[in-house]
Amino acid sequence: MGLGSLTSRAMIRRASTILNTTRSHNFSLVRSIVSTPELKNTASAAAEATPDPPLPPPRPPVNNARVHFPNPEDAIEVFVDGYSVKVPKGFTVLQACEVAGVDIPRFCYHSRLSIAGNCRMCLVEVEKSPKPVASCAMPALPGMKIKTDTPIAKKAREGVMEFLLMNHPLDCPICDQGGECDLQDQSMAFGSDRGRFTEMKRSVVDKNLGPLVKTVMTRCIQCTRCVRFASEVAGVEDLGILGRGSGEEIGTYVEQLMTSELSGNVIDICPVGALTSKPFAFKARNWELKGTESIDVTDAVGSNIRIDSRGPEVMRITPRLNEDVNEEWISDKTRFCYDGLKRQRLNDPMIRGSDGRFKAVSWRDALDVIAEVMHKVKPEEIVGVAGKLSDAESMMALKDFLNKMGSNNIWCEGNGGQPQADLRSGYLLNTGIADLETADVFLLIGTQPRVEAAMVNARIRKAVRSNHAKVGYIGPATDLNYDYEHLGTGPQTLQEIAEGTHSFFSAIKNAKNPAIVVGAGLFEREDKDAILSIVETIAKSANVIRPDWNGLNVLLLNAAQAASLDLGLVPESDKSIESAKFLYLMGADDVNMDKVPSDAFVVYQGHHGDQGVYRANVILPASAFSEKEGTYANTEGRAQQTVPAVPTVGDARDDWKIIRALSETAGVNLPYDSLIDVRERIRTVAPNLLSMDEREPATFSTLIKPEIKKEINPVPFKPSIENFYMTDSITRASKIMAQCSSQLLKK
Amino acid sequence: MAAVWRAKVPPNSANLEEARKRVFDFFKLACRSLPKVMDIYNLDDVATISQLRSTIASQLRKNAHIKDPKVIDMLIFKGMEELENIVEHSKQRHHMIGQYVVGHHGLVQEMGTKEQGLSPFLKNFYKSNYL
Ligand code: SF4
Ligand code: FES
Repeated sequence: MGLGSLTSRAMIRRASTILNTTRSHNFSLVRSIVSTPELKNTASAAAEATPDPPLPPPRPPVNNARVHFPNPEDAIEVFVDGYSVKVPKGFTVLQACEVAGVDIPRFCYHSRLSIAGNCRMCLVEVEKSPKPVASCAMPALPGMKIKTDTPIAKKAREGVMEFLLMNHPLDCPICDQGGECDLQDQSMAFGSDRGRFTEMKRSVVDKNLGPLVKTVMTRCIQCTRCVRFASEVAGVEDLGILGRGSGEEIGTYVEQLMTSELSGNVIDICPVGALTSKPFAFKARNWELKGTESIDVTDAVGSNIRIDSRGPEVMRITPRLNEDVNEEWISDKTRFCYDGLKRQRLNDPMIRGSDGRFKAVSWRDALDVIAEVMHKVKPEEIVGVAGKLSDAESMMALKDFLNKMGSNNIWCEGNGGQPQADLRSGYLLNTGIADLETADVFLLIGTQPRVEAAMVNARIRKAVRSNHAKVGYIGPATDLNYDYEHLGTGPQTLQEIAEGTHSFFSAIKNAKNPAIVVGAGLFEREDKDAILSIVETIAKSANVIRPDWNGLNVLLLNAAQAASLDLGLVPESDKSIESAKFLYLMGADDVNMDKVPSDAFVVYQGHHGDQGVYRANVILPASAFSEKEGTYANTEGRAQQTVPAVPTVGDARDDWKIIRALSETAGVNLPYDSLIDVRERIRTVAPNLLSMDEREPATFSTLIKPEIKKEINPVPFKPSIENFYMTDSITRASKIMAQCSSQLLKK
Repeated sequence: MAAVWRAKVPPNSANLEEARKRVFDFFKLACRSLPKVMDIYNLDDVATISQLRSTIASQLRKNAHIKDPKVIDMLIFKGMEELENIVEHSKQRHHMIGQYVVGHHGLVQEMGTKEQGLSPFLKNFYKSNYL
């Protein structure tokens, strides 16, 4: 830089100060609140900007997002702050900025919802456009020159911020969103440092949305994210906007509760503290919580969650992004079951005395008693049942232990009498959860995905919305949150479709990507083999299984199911429980206890004092999913791991350790002493359970199965889940879930 | 500490015989206050009066070998002090349970010979989940 340019800059600066002083003389009554002083004089700012400072190196995309070009010719080039980026046609300006690594402030825009463009926070400057444009709603055009960091853009944001804060209460110290609030963060980053507002703020009546979502509607900034979420993703028209201008309110038009099974997600998407979690209200501040990235076990989807804990207590559960499983949503059961982890817990080993009461004993005594009884009964009278929340490691240990004791009667609840475990494709969601989105015809057989696997249902709904997929449903009357055709209630309809006489058969046959989803509730039926073979006939004749598309799916119900079938937990005989003398329940609470002979010795190992405990002779306390490391396979065969977030309760132990210890007391030492050793053992049985976070699709389709000729039973299909909110020992112990079932399920 | 200030130090025992008599008096006094102790510390569900009585007796017997009257006087003084603290509710329930109900061996039962032959895994398992 030469001397000449320096002097010229100095001159300009002098000129600008003169300009400024004259201005302030003239308008000395106007209080200026603009915190960026160079804005006061655009001429001087422009003059100062002329000697361009060297550009900083380009930034990587926000969140390291990758751009997918569906069609290479459709790429267009735009310039963001002087850098050129290539984006596919149809991208908005905001998305183009994200690709260029510039995060645009926003409130109403959400990548998974439709565009509303009503908060105006995302204003940017575009060359040759007279005014700043709302980047979230403006499509990027070839050669567009976008400027995100100019004085005009900054001033625009500052102005929008001022309007938003005008009617926003100064609640932050008592607001649950404090610390994770978009409005808080963005007003720090882009807002003005003083306010000019002296009138009264408006106030809005709070709405009652039920036991899960707390509302403080005065805080709402009318971004309408919650309204769009409810109608687009959750599929309930519960929320809407009333009134206009400063009288605008979010609410349910008539007094009613929010009845969606995904309602908890509005807590996450609300950018301010208008919608917060009712059970979490005033319980903790988010910066004192420890987050642990884990897996949900309340259904077979295996949603990715973050367990937020403080000390030994789970404070809340929030979703974690996983595009292949749950996107960024979770169901209400997943989110709010956590208070069940604190109630009804078993904390000491206990033995039932002769008076019928439980007495706490030491681990040594409890294990000695069990080992003694086990050696007294015949090997074939030993039966083991794994519960629906069991992890793969403990099921492996249980199977090995009972086999060493000479028994092969071991299964996992929910799998029915003689599950089909030989072919993985026979019990998995072969299409994959994410790929269900691309299907265009669905045939749901005896399954109500809305209550069985809410996240899978959200995918089906997405397919119905975006590709107008047709849904046919066979089963009892139900309420799905998309249009469907109720074809029938029982297996006869299925037979008609298989014979091709039903009109829906042609729909499947002509579809590009047909998906048949069979509910795992059918596993409990006597005629399940016959039904499954009919389904296979349909699949074969309608060409549902192709090399590039496997549309024959089974939707499982429980977290443990897929792993148990992978490990081969199949009982030797159907009637083993009726002749059992020794029954080992590993967290199994839904076994029909009436069938157990009265002289049988029942051991219950688990974390909750639930149904299994009533009949137990010995109780062994175990750790819950939030307290242990365990592998779970979800319904599409994806192995994922839970991570311990909090310490175990009382004197409880991890499931696999209990079985390992018991095996030693019983004199049949299992050969593993650590979780790593157990996994090595699993590698020899089901190596797919060790490839973490990866979906191992079933290699083989169903075509060489032996033909089974069995009569079908014309009894209509039954709903497999009575109460969405209470399906396992944790949710049954939860107070919040009990409130939900009493308030939200009443018809 | 109030009890200490109020405590009158009796004149020393002249001989072993007198000291011995004082020990018995102290034992009787302690036993008579047991119903009250049971009551104020709510010990009914963890101990009985006879259990506590034998705990007191065993504590006295621990010093049975002492023959010096001066030392016996001192021990009685300390015992008196402790008794007053207890009766005045200067202690709390868990002190009582810890010192007189569970005793010095604590909650961990000595495994002794039973431990032999167990694998390290099982030994750790009996101790805690996190070993
Ligand atoms: S309640 Fe929250 S999400 Fe809904 S419009 Fe208001 S600010 Fe937006
Ligand atoms: S984010 Fe663009 S207008 Fe709200």
